[in-house]
Amino acid sequence: MERMTSETFDQNARAALNDAMLHQALRRLADTFGDKRKKAIATVADWEGLRTGARAIKDDVLLHLDTYLEQFATNAERAGAKVHWARDGAEACDLVLNIVKTRGATNIVKSKSMVTEEIHLNRALEDEGLDPVETDLGEWIIQLADETPSHIVVPAIHKTKGQIADLFVEKVGIEKTDDVDELTYTARRFLRERFAKTEIGISGANFCVAETGSLLILENEGNIRLTTSLPKTHIAVVGIEKIVPRLTDLDVFLKLLPRSGTGQNLTAYQSIITGVKQNADDEGPEEVHIILLDNGRSRMLAHPVTRQSLACIRCGACLNACPVYQQIGGHAYGSVYPGPIGAVITPQLIGLSKAKQLPYASSLCGACREVCPVKIDIPELLLHLRAEITDGSANGISADTSTRKKFGESLAFRLYGYLWAGEARYRFGMKAARLFQTLVARRGKIGKAGKLLSALVPPLGAWTARRDAPTAAGKSFREQWRDGLEDK
Amino acid sequence: MKVSLFVTCLVDQLFPTVGVSMVEVLRRVGCEVVFDERQTCCGQPAFNTGYRHEAQKFAKRFIEIFEDSDAEAIVAPSGSCTAMVKHFHELFPDDKTWRERADKIAAKTYELAGFLVNVLNKVDVGASASGRFTWHDACHGLRELGLRNEPRLLLKNVKELEFIEMSNADVCCGFGGTFSVKYPEISAGILDNKIEAIEKANIDAVVSGDASCLMQIGGRLSRLGLKTKTMHLAEVLALQQ
Amino acid sequence: MARRAGGQMMAAGAIHRMNSATARESILASIRENLAASAAFNDAHAMLHLDRAEIAASEHSPIIRDSILGNFQKNLELVGGHLHIVRNEREAADAVRSTIEALGGSKIAISDSPLVTSIANELSAIEFVQNADREFLFDSDLGITVAQWAIAETGTLVLTSDSERHRLTSLVPPVHICVLEAGNIRQTLGEILERIEPDRSRTVTFITGASRTSDIELTLAIGVHGPRELHVVIIDRRS
Repeated sequence: MERMTSETFDQNARAALNDAMLHQALRRLADTFGDKRKKAIATVADWEGLRTGARAIKDDVLLHLDTYLEQFATNAERAGAKVHWARDGAEACDLVLNIVKTRGATNIVKSKSMVTEEIHLNRALEDEGLDPVETDLGEWIIQLADETPSHIVVPAIHKTKGQIADLFVEKVGIEKTDDVDELTYTARRFLRERFAKTEIGISGANFCVAETGSLLILENEGNIRLTTSLPKTHIAVVGIEKIVPRLTDLDVFLKLLPRSGTGQNLTAYQSIITGVKQNADDEGPEEVHIILLDNGRSRMLAHPVTRQSLACIRCGACLNACPVYQQIGGHAYGSVYPGPIGAVITPQLIGLSKAKQLPYASSLCGACREVCPVKIDIPELLLHLRAEITDGSANGISADTSTRKKFGESLAFRLYGYLWAGEARYRFGMKAARLFQTLVARRGKIGKAGKLLSALVPPLGAWTARRDAPTAAGKSFREQWRDGLEDK
Repeated sequence: MKVSLFVTCLVDQLFPTVGVSMVEVLRRVGCEVVFDERQTCCGQPAFNTGYRHEAQKFAKRFIEIFEDSDAEAIVAPSGSCTAMVKHFHELFPDDKTWRERADKIAAKTYELAGFLVNVLNKVDVGASASGRFTWHDACHGLRELGLRNEPRLLLKNVKELEFIEMSNADVCCGFGGTFSVKYPEISAGILDNKIEAIEKANIDAVVSGDASCLMQIGGRLSRLGLKTKTMHLAEVLALQQ
Repeated sequence: MARRAGGQMMAAGAIHRMNSATARESILASIRENLAASAAFNDAHAMLHLDRAEIAASEHSPIIRDSILGNFQKNLELVGGHLHIVRNEREAADAVRSTIEALGGSKIAISDSPLVTSIANELSAIEFVQNADREFLFDSDLGITVAQWAIAETGTLVLTSDSERHRLTSLVPPVHICVLEAGNIRQTLGEILERIEPDRSRTVTFITGASRTSDIELTLAIGVHGPRELHVVIIDRRS
């Protein structure tokens, strides 16, 4: 299926705005998750304290990431897990394929993992003739539909139940129903058949504990527990930023993540998995493989502003709070990670030139920063990336020089910089602008000349398409000040 | 108290009555108001679009001009412009001296509502205006300066005024500076949600602390032919009907 | 696939290990390099965030601390769990029997916990299968385990693999009955994290209510992959 890319973000967004069913789904998301999150937060005595504490842990980890990663790897290996390191997505996919082939296994089940989407693992497996099945309900739905997730937590949020029912009728062969329980039961029935015979389970992990070499994985459905318990081999792919130092550090994150992500005090299941079983006849896999993935993350450490990107715990709260995401949904971003966090990590992961629109697709309202459980200052990150994209002036991340500056815009800002730099020039410039403005708007309405000018000057046209503009006043404030306001 | 006006270029040129109203209100509460005519712009558009070299020039000019003043406070009728001054620090990553100069100026720069309530400890500025009014939280004023209660207190103390809290008052209006013209359809979609909330509140005027939001909201209300007015906080507080 | 390295064909496993060692060193080196590059900016950036006042006001309500048991009950019921509080093992067996009868199940899997074994022995009229194989589990109606700990503040059961084979019995059957000693309930998650020993217990499972999802139109559906019903029988020997 033709995938939308970040490079055509503006077109993607326009298409999304015209999608009435998507609009409904997004409204539902905004209304539901906002309230649930607020209620869940109210059950905590010191929410702000938790956020500060969590961010402090993350800051410490990131500043010593090499040490903590080595500690994690040592402890995981001591407990019998095999730890692998992957510099990029291709290397990670190769590692997975290698393990699968060595085991001679074909029945692969997968649980929801954004990092496996990031490295396009399913495609790599399918290209080798394998048939990995997604077991998270939302992920299974989009796998059947041959789509990508549109949200970090609820991947199929863009689909109506009617669309899902039609999908199941076509791909699974059920009878049409619009009962959510029946649709859910279809997934349970179908996927249990795969679970019953599965040989390899592939998952992600939410946190990796350095002190014990353990993985913590959260879920509501139970498919992760099945994926990590039933097969003989378990492969976990994790980003290198997922480390926390101690087991007790999980407390603060387990308070923040479910409340921020789904408005629950705790998800239905958490599994803390350490190494492999000690005895052959214990339950669980014989082999546990952990693949530590870099794929551009280490580069983000190069500046304190970009380093905070790695504090993200993938809760999705910023998506739910974002007025832009609420308008266009996740697919428009054209990237694995949508929404505010997607807008800042995608350019860093795939290159500024391939995603240079994303940091501009924000009104900088700051709602994301307000809800982020680890206090990532996303507006600060957006501004940093905008400066990098424009002229590399953010000092720090290497400017990807293939982002061509926009000539017209660059000229406009140079002019603005020049004209506003001195009072006389400013007054002259403003008089000219006010004169020009009277050609556009009279008594607050756009006149005919205005319409013509709007067509010629794109930003003007963009404004006047849906909004009237204010008329410039007869006298500016400074003129009135001089004319008597000063002495009143 | 002596106050140096940071009028903001938008108010200066497009909404001068906001500036005039602010002078009136500040004088009414006993401030001596001065205006340094050398001021032009805080550079927010450049900073927000990524032109940090230009933004730095604006910042330096602003700092130099206002360093000349012996006023105890610099007051602006804009949360976003006030927030920009607080951001000047980021424009001097390699220059500790300029950072310190920026911090000194930033420490005495206030948005109007914040100044009245938190510095002068005034919630009643002797205003009166009849009608149903609601407040739209401009994003920078709310989230960067923490001003949520202050403007509401001021409005609620305006005699005769009936204050209505609208739903989603703290959700963005969709302006976002150049965002409104780079992604006008998305901006308009966000704006229409705001218009919906305004209409549902059934009020005479929506009040805000940022002229940019009022321009965005007012522009759409006007295009739709709706009767609801937009007013800046300073304009409401200047009223003595 | 074997790659040529210096003219010699190497065994796949050896190449794999070599690549992995190289990748590890490369990643760690990249981390160190990039952290070093950020050092120049760290102080100024930290000062920036110190200066900004703590703006967000958190509106919160205080936690009401009931008794631990009362708190557990309240929170279990909030997530739709069914609770039976009994005084001893015999009453626990009664509670288990009546639950089984109410649900009408006949294929019942039990864990290897001594307490569960003892309860099963008491209910001699009912057939239980201990350490069931996959086929039985996937066809079963009910699974019975204990929990080694529980958390009152969230109504959570904590099962540790070193004490009991719980992973599939508590997961695969559509109904899970869990027996718990009241003395093993702690108020907070933090207390549990201090007590579990991951090196001894290679899997620790936290269970809060039944399996669920909201993936379809944000509508709640219960019993996706895990059990759709959770029954907890608490033995409170104090009363």
